[in-house]
Amino acid sequence: MSILELRKATKEFRGVPAIKDIDFTLEKGEIHAILGENGAGKSTLTKAFAGVHQLSSGEMLLDGEPIALSSPHDALERGIAMVFQETNLVPSMTVAQNIYLGDEMLFNRLRGLYIQAQQFLAGMNFQVDPTALVSSLGAAHKQMVEIARAVQKKARVIIFDEPTASLTPEEKNHFFGLVRRLVKQGVSVIFISHALEEALMLADRITILRDGQHVVTDKASNFDRDRVVQAMVGRSLTSQLHGAGKKVARPYGKKLLSVQNLSSGSMVRNTSFSIFAGQVTGVFGLVGAGRTETMKVIAGVMKRDFFHGGDVLLEDRPVRYRIPRQAVRDGIVYVTEDRKIEGFFETMSIAENIQIGEEATHVNPLAVVSMADARKNAKDWIDRLSIRAINASARIIELSGGNQQKVVIAKSLTQEPKLVIFDEPTRGVDVGAIVEIHQLIERLADEGFGVVVISSYLPEIMALSDRILVARQGKIVEEMSADEATEQKIMYAAVH
Amino acid sequence: MATKLKLTQEGVVFVLAALLFVGFSLVLDRFLTVGNIIALVQSVSILGILSLGMAFVVIGRGIDLAMVATMVVAVAWGLVLSRSGLPLGAALLLGAGFVVLIGILTGIIVAYAEIPAIFTTLAMGSIVYGIGRTFFFQIDVQNTPVGYAWFDFLGRGTMGGVPVPVFAFACVALVVFLMLRYTRFGRFVYATGDNPLAARVTGVPTRVVMVAQYVITGLIAYLAGIVMAANVSGMNTRIYNSTMIYDVLLVVVLGGIGLSGGRGGVRNVLVGTALVGILLNGMTILNIGYTAQNLIKSVILLGAIVIDTLINPRDEQTAQQGDI
Repeated sequence: MSILELRKATKEFRGVPAIKDIDFTLEKGEIHAILGENGAGKSTLTKAFAGVHQLSSGEMLLDGEPIALSSPHDALERGIAMVFQETNLVPSMTVAQNIYLGDEMLFNRLRGLYIQAQQFLAGMNFQVDPTALVSSLGAAHKQMVEIARAVQKKARVIIFDEPTASLTPEEKNHFFGLVRRLVKQGVSVIFISHALEEALMLADRITILRDGQHVVTDKASNFDRDRVVQAMVGRSLTSQLHGAGKKVARPYGKKLLSVQNLSSGSMVRNTSFSIFAGQVTGVFGLVGAGRTETMKVIAGVMKRDFFHGGDVLLEDRPVRYRIPRQAVRDGIVYVTEDRKIEGFFETMSIAENIQIGEEATHVNPLAVVSMADARKNAKDWIDRLSIRAINASARIIELSGGNQQKVVIAKSLTQEPKLVIFDEPTRGVDVGAIVEIHQLIERLADEGFGVVVISSYLPEIMALSDRILVARQGKIVEEMSADEATEQKIMYAAVH
Repeated sequence: MATKLKLTQEGVVFVLAALLFVGFSLVLDRFLTVGNIIALVQSVSILGILSLGMAFVVIGRGIDLAMVATMVVAVAWGLVLSRSGLPLGAALLLGAGFVVLIGILTGIIVAYAEIPAIFTTLAMGSIVYGIGRTFFFQIDVQNTPVGYAWFDFLGRGTMGGVPVPVFAFACVALVVFLMLRYTRFGRFVYATGDNPLAARVTGVPTRVVMVAQYVITGLIAYLAGIVMAANVSGMNTRIYNSTMIYDVLLVVVLGGIGLSGGRGGVRNVLVGTALVGILLNGMTILNIGYTAQNLIKSVILLGAIVIDTLINPRDEQTAQQGDI
């Protein structure tokens, strides 16, 4: 008897389906793993269960009854709880207060609450002090509290989003034990993971999604690593469009950047690699692999840089940038993955946006700037990158995503860089512009620039890169040339 | 180019100011007199200079609520020093030094410690005023020393029939306009105000820009204070407790300089100053009481801020792409 079921579930964002016609069943007391690449629709699917998203079409059944969840609260009322990647606990409250959050009685006796919580936690064999502040707990304990809260709410279905991403191996084992105990008590578990081995070991059944569509659901014992990877990357039409014909890798230019044992925060862990001029270096990794963070540390963009170590050498000169300004003036530019947040200036015209880039490479603050020069410069860039706009004075906010991206790129290129770091250069960009941006990236490498492309989309990495670096858990773990790389090989290295 | 007339806040305010001016001229016989117009323009010029300073920092996505405090304390201190024997010029220079110091301190707290400007400058205003009343002077009204013709000229002189304060306003407006429009620093101020994160990634020295902003704003306020002191032969430090800072904000927000930063310029300040000046003058002639005037101004200020937020939303959050 299935407890939770989806029939032909579709969820669209602004007309673009994130999941499409998905059928899914969760049996009572089973552990069901959902696997897939970044953007395969895993999060969307689970958020539909948790009431965060409402389905555009299709049916959801709980205990065989059709339901429509209006909010996460609604889902919780019906016994479906989700444990998010980032915990939803209140850091300034104690463990007990968090567990009973929202269920407080009118006259809330803390002592009684602590005794109650103590017994409750002991019953689940959790070693957590109910009077401890949540902010003082480590990742694993926070997760326990979150699970305890879900159980306290009488959840019958608990959904975990990347539960083990922030845990140490020891904590992971503890977590697995916990999940098995929950299942014995009759709870059903869905979990999303990038860690294939864990899924294979823990799950009863595995569902694999790709590009928002259901690929296969089967008993975990019928899967092995190869079959999972195959199902995850096996591509249809889209890959042929991108990866048509394997390219000849460009030769190595001179060594531009050398990174040795770089660490920073929890996302960059003792990573080492090099970047060469005159070629495209693709950086692939799953979400949370620390690709963006690594590059941001190198380009001085990362703000909080407390626990760090290691060396970065730019043309054999040790550099450690604390602000992007220094990096920009030394020739390292970072083209952001999120142009609205840290890419362009929305009140300004195309010319003004590019002008800021140009002016930022100079020092004297009192220097006179000329709008006429800025427009002329912008006109050159509009021609070179075929930006489609009425003229250089057009407001950037009125352009399409692809053209905005081109302006952001122009703003960086006008700074005469040696090394250009593109982070997800084609995110939110229309198909025509994708091709043009890809051509631009190739051209930059031909002209001798050092080019780094971070992408979560394997075909993009395959199409552009001369050399591929694969990141996993804050570290570059694998390096391969374009000639030897295949999608399977890359994916193999990226999952753990 | 489109010939369609676009309805901007600036345009609306300009039309409103013109309507009020015509209305008051028709209704109030004392409004359209030479004496009153000179009084109006003079009173407005000090408010205008202050507003130019405020506009500068607001464009850079900051705010300086300590402006009036800085102004009264620094000028009063300068006057005290000069009466105790220092030449007035040197005394005023020392006052300027104090202003720069306060500006740097404010800027560092806002830019490096990343404390919201509104709280920093609110506290800074009290601190500056407290320092002034505790260490620099005890009497809250400080008179100008006698025998400095050039100083009196700043406040009460005329050039070709136009009062010097009006010239001062025009000069500051011109300098701020040129700085914002035609210097690299001005472009950096707009970039920082529009999107501080993008400015930082692009290589704009955002923190330095922010510190400089507060120094410049303080200095502009100081200049307004000097003109004011010269005009009435003294500095009444109790102005700090008046609603002046709200009048300044009213001008800036009404003129159409978005509090979300990066928007507007000197023209907006001029339009805002005109409207507020006419409004205040007309209300005074109408014999509306001080408290009632404050009520009216506050309602207008709140309304203007609401409209500003609706027109220029700070939408970094909503601008994020849908999570898939």
